[in-house]
Amino acid sequence: MGMLALTVGDIVGIKVLSRPIPGGIEMVAFLGAVVTSFAIAHTQVMRGHIQVEFVVMRLPGRLQAVLAALTSLLSLIFFGLLAWRSYDFGRVLQITGEVSMTQKIPFHPFVYGIAFCSVVVSLLLLTEFLRALVKVVKK
Amino acid sequence: MSEVFVGLIGIAVLVFIFLIGMPVGFAMGLVGVAGFCYLRSFDAGLSILARDVWAQFSSYSLTVIPMFVFMGSIAFASGMSRRLYDAGYTMLGRLRGGLAMATIAACAGFAAICGSTNATAAAMGRVTLPEMKRYGYSDSLATGCVAAAGSLGILIPPSTIFIVYGILTEQSIGRLFVAGVFPGIILSLLFMMVVALLVWRNPSIAPAGAPTTWRQKLMGLTGILEMLVLFALCIGGLFLGWFSPTQAGAAGAAGALIIALVRRSISWGGFIEAVKDGLRITCMVMVIVTGATIFGHFMAVARIPMELAAWVSGLELPRAAVMGIIVFIYLIGGCFMDALALITLTIPIFYPAVIALGFDPIWFGVIIVLVTEMGVITPPVGVNVYVIKGIATDVPLETIFKGIFPFLVALIANVGILLAFPQIATFLPSLTRY
Repeated sequence: MGMLALTVGDIVGIKVLSRPIPGGIEMVAFLGAVVTSFAIAHTQVMRGHIQVEFVVMRLPGRLQAVLAALTSLLSLIFFGLLAWRSYDFGRVLQITGEVSMTQKIPFHPFVYGIAFCSVVVSLLLLTEFLRALVKVVKK
Repeated sequence: MSEVFVGLIGIAVLVFIFLIGMPVGFAMGLVGVAGFCYLRSFDAGLSILARDVWAQFSSYSLTVIPMFVFMGSIAFASGMSRRLYDAGYTMLGRLRGGLAMATIAACAGFAAICGSTNATAAAMGRVTLPEMKRYGYSDSLATGCVAAAGSLGILIPPSTIFIVYGILTEQSIGRLFVAGVFPGIILSLLFMMVVALLVWRNPSIAPAGAPTTWRQKLMGLTGILEMLVLFALCIGGLFLGWFSPTQAGAAGAAGALIIALVRRSISWGGFIEAVKDGLRITCMVMVIVTGATIFGHFMAVARIPMELAAWVSGLELPRAAVMGIIVFIYLIGGCFMDALALITLTIPIFYPAVIALGFDPIWFGVIIVLVTEMGVITPPVGVNVYVIKGIATDVPLETIFKGIFPFLVALIANVGILLAFPQIATFLPSLTRY
């Protein structure tokens, strides 16, 4: 899903940029927002987010699992908060009716998009957390 | 508790959760929000979370990242690295150590169309390592020179590190890009001198290659040509003020794609892979930048950067000594942390102090890139080294690190040169119209 968004985003972005389309800049920026938020989950699955591994790698397996559970729980808190607050923020923008300058594109659907993606990432992190817990118990 | 003390605790907590393996972007965001909540109010902290994430994700200036990342992954997928190397090889292959020099030249060329160190190292490593092995080059020279020269990817524009630095410090990305040109050329030459010195001391590590005909040399030149066209299009366009950075990236990515299509050197599968790759890298960078923004806001309310700036400018130390200390901190920090994470974390803290001392912000950007280059090749956390290890699986890590050491000396020498002659970095940007 995220991949599709990027393909569309990049190609449209390039096409938009090669011709002066009114509001092209804001559309590209919005596409950037869509692409990034949808890509977070994909990147998480592919282990693409930078993390410091060299300490953890040297620890025994069980402790590794405990730490994995802890870090996914912390990440889960972060994305949980982000989902909640982005939803709230989206509500505010929707009620005040904020739109972009040239094309009058409303902001709130994109902010809701971030909220939605955060929920997806949270669910993913929840499964990672549970998996790590199972590992801790098993070992 | 004073605000500064809370800030220091925040930094300590952050380093701890980095070390237990939490993704750095998430960690900076979480600690930033928690600290902000503590210092201001719960509600203020949480609303800064939603606002910062939205502001960064939807920022037009950040759309420059996917554009240049995409350009690099297309160039990689369509085999431009191989053609550049062929060109370098036909020119320099006959010399002793010529293959290693050709590798450095090709890395510099690829760096002109790709903005990341590990992509440059991966692209060139896959092409050059088998060749150097075939001609009997020593493993440590071969792997060391690709790993080190791969780091040119972020010094010669385009460069993800310059983009991130430009965004964090609100400096012009176009000026930063052109600032990297001369230091990049100098560093490439220094790297080649290192090869020459090593070969002179011990000729057995790098036998000479087979001679090539003029015809082959001319054919090789076409490989350089496409790189030059792309570079002229996007960096030249940026330099002359035709393009905004995002437009330059888009033009470059489109150009790379067109060249790949005309040459028929990219398959549908390769294209999809390039897009996926670009997507992951983009997201990774965006998440870190966003996390760093939130953390930076926390640092700002904790007054750490201002206090540090005041403290440093009150010190009775010469400017160069302070800069030396900062470089040293990065050198040590870069050993243990990912370079991108390190700079996004530290720039908001160090930058005001550096400016208070009267250093040029563009010049400091170049210095940051140089220390980042050191970071990606120093043990135990050196991304480039692991990239090379992934290609040359039979070479032990120690051998690669040993091979890198002389090149690290060249990097430090380059920092010294820039300290003595800052104009090398600041001359070109002073000419830009953008």
